[in-house]
Amino acid sequence: MATGGHLPANLRQQARITEAAARAVGLDFFDVVFEMLDAADVNAVAAYGGFPVRYPSWRFGMDYERLQKGYDYGLSKIYELVINNDPTYAYLVRSNSLMEQKLVMAHVMGHADFFKHNVWFGPTQRSMVEQMGHHAARIRSFADAYGQDTVERFLDVALGLDGLIDPYLPLRESRRAESRRETIQSRAERARTDFEQHWGDGAESLRPGPRPSRSAPTTPSSGDLPTFDILGFLVEHSRLADWQVEILSIVRAEAYYFVPQRLTKIMNEGWASYWHSHLLTHGLLDASEIVDFADCHAGATAVAPGQLNPYKLGIELFRHAHARGDDLFQLRQVHNDVSFIDHVVDEQFAESNQLFVYQRNSRTGKNMVVDRDWVAIKEQLLRELSWGGSPRIQLIEADADGEGGLLLVHKHEGRDLKLDEAGAQLKTLAQVWGGPVHLLTLEEGVGRRISTDGQEISVIETARAQDVCGGQESAQAS
Amino acid sequence: MGGQVYRMERDRARFRDIVRGRLREDLRKYLSTSELLGRQGKKTISIPIPQVELPRFRYGDNSGEGVGQGPGDEGDQMDGDGAEGAGSAGEQPGQHILEVEVDLAELAEMLGRELALPNIQPRGSRQLHTEGGRYTGIRSQGPDSLRHFRRTFRRALKRTIASGEWDPKDPRVVPMRDDQRFRSRRTHPKPESSAVIFHMMDVSGSMGREQKDIVRIKAFWIDTWLRSQYKNIEVVYIVHDAVAKVVDQEAFFHLRESGGTKISSAYELCLKQIQEHYRPDNWNIYPFHYSDGDNWSARDTARCVALLREEILPCANQFCYGQVKSAYGSGQFKKDLDHALGHDDQIVTTAIDSREGIPESIRAFLAEGR
Repeated sequence: MATGGHLPANLRQQARITEAAARAVGLDFFDVVFEMLDAADVNAVAAYGGFPVRYPSWRFGMDYERLQKGYDYGLSKIYELVINNDPTYAYLVRSNSLMEQKLVMAHVMGHADFFKHNVWFGPTQRSMVEQMGHHAARIRSFADAYGQDTVERFLDVALGLDGLIDPYLPLRESRRAESRRETIQSRAERARTDFEQHWGDGAESLRPGPRPSRSAPTTPSSGDLPTFDILGFLVEHSRLADWQVEILSIVRAEAYYFVPQRLTKIMNEGWASYWHSHLLTHGLLDASEIVDFADCHAGATAVAPGQLNPYKLGIELFRHAHARGDDLFQLRQVHNDVSFIDHVVDEQFAESNQLFVYQRNSRTGKNMVVDRDWVAIKEQLLRELSWGGSPRIQLIEADADGEGGLLLVHKHEGRDLKLDEAGAQLKTLAQVWGGPVHLLTLEEGVGRRISTDGQEISVIETARAQDVCGGQESAQAS
Repeated sequence: MGGQVYRMERDRARFRDIVRGRLREDLRKYLSTSELLGRQGKKTISIPIPQVELPRFRYGDNSGEGVGQGPGDEGDQMDGDGAEGAGSAGEQPGQHILEVEVDLAELAEMLGRELALPNIQPRGSRQLHTEGGRYTGIRSQGPDSLRHFRRTFRRALKRTIASGEWDPKDPRVVPMRDDQRFRSRRTHPKPESSAVIFHMMDVSGSMGREQKDIVRIKAFWIDTWLRSQYKNIEVVYIVHDAVAKVVDQEAFFHLRESGGTKISSAYELCLKQIQEHYRPDNWNIYPFHYSDGDNWSARDTARCVALLREEILPCANQFCYGQVKSAYGSGQFKKDLDHALGHDDQIVTTAIDSREGIPESIRAFLAEGR
């Protein structure tokens, strides 16, 4: 990538030493390419999710503003950035000290190994740097053809739906090597060739007017449902224009690319911290740097009163597993955060890490320690992390009301949705689908059906939700 | 290099236009203010930043549970209430964010910059003692004409040697952007005068937790700003329901009284303090009063207006009244003040509906630079 500067000689040397040390302890990764950035540029790259080129969107501007303000006011600064790609790209911040650069390099080696070997990262696109650039170019060309405002509005709609995917789908699909994902891509592919043939790629591309579409939506078949990959369903079956279908599929591809990072946040940070700590204290540090390193490491793994720090939790999980005699390399390969915690957390872990369950006291508005029982702690942790921390929304019927309406179900699991936002999200969905959309959920144990045609929202009480949402309430009642 | 920032500038400009309402009206309804948090000793400060959050499926209120780490028995309250579960730990790996501390002087400067506050002009014949007009400072940004060649070269040289690029046979040193240092002119006036702030708060039954929190945040920022403007500052805290008393800072922020509201009691006490301890020819006087706008009787309100007009305003730099909206308050008091004294530019009144209104209200209080 031509974004960053090359490393000065001493850091190039340091990178070679770090890489050799990492390989010597058994870490294995694609080539790691370090680039040097100024602090101001690092904030921009971070706002772009680590990628040098993204499509134009005010959202990146918003994230950048937050990072930049935090940096300007001295409240926060970014240490390092690393991208899951082959080769793995990582950025070093020019203003960091040599000790900090060593720490970052060792930490990056841990991430790079995790990216390559963790099974959840297996199906991810490894040339995402090019892909993202390609997506950006596509969206820019749509903006040229249809107007920036039109394209940006639809892009916002699509991004608003990017949580409606199935985080476990890529792994399942790659296992089964099934054709479904290929069909989804193929409609987007068809749309793309169609666009290019019609608009060309030069000055011709401004030619307005309607055009025939060769990438018509397919009718949903019984094999498509039920599905959590609602975005994928829309790509395949919605009656949108070709460019809109392609934007949906771009947003979907990028969402799936980021999914494993959400599913393995604790493990990934824990693994990288475990190894930076090991490598630096086993020969990479100069004696004069030990104190600074300890200070810096303690800062990264510090625990604010009553909070969980993924770096700290992750590194302790690996240390605990190591003490129990587990094979760490195997653990990092087969688990995600949920299964890893399920595997490692036991009574001793909960106790030595002073974990507890808290609950918000509605009267004082403060959080209170309510439970120190390790089983309750584990259950709470798993509940929070399952499904990447988001509510599970499944599409179960494509013509629920005889009017081509979609029927969605919120798999309740004891936590209510924020209903006003859910209504707004359904409206967006109805606009994209071009027909009514219904959602079954529970509100304090009472079954609800929220319906919208894209304009008005109506909510009715329904007993059916009790059955299909499968919440705790209904389980207790039976 | 630099290309990043350039490309980002367009996305950022577009976002700013959305925030200002010039673009994409459809997004305005999702605009909110989130905050950047920083710590100052035990205090937490926040810097508001605008945020557009599009609706999505997320968990609602009955999910206020989580896992934390630290000491404490079952039933204990946790320190700080910003605890977050692991589920919300962010999405990108390897994006490490480090918190550093800010000191109060910097905070005041940021506040001044964010709200575009003018420096305060102390009243009276006392002269400002300024040390302006001398280039004594060094900073990292400035015009080329002020570039400090020696400092710039020194930094460049250090960096070259430290990074191992120094070659004694070819001793070339190329300064880059980060190396450049510029002379800066120190022009900050150093006010020599003293000031006293009176924070008066209504603690009657109708002022709830949220109302008090709003007052607390406002008072903190006002103190911070005024402290940056005066060398010698004193703060007097007064609480009142039907009677008023002087309390310490701790009590001011935590006391909960109940009962009726007689605002004149606070103004009388404030006046007594001024007369006994803070003679106007020696002190710049800033009374602030916060309430939900309910007073005991119209007669007492008339008494308040008389006190302000005849006694307090003549000796104060500025009198500020901040009305915090509560479920019970009628908000009548602000109307009465505006009606009786609205023409007097020494008095500023604001109404605050929620936390989002705090910056605007602070700006209204301090924008005149009195």
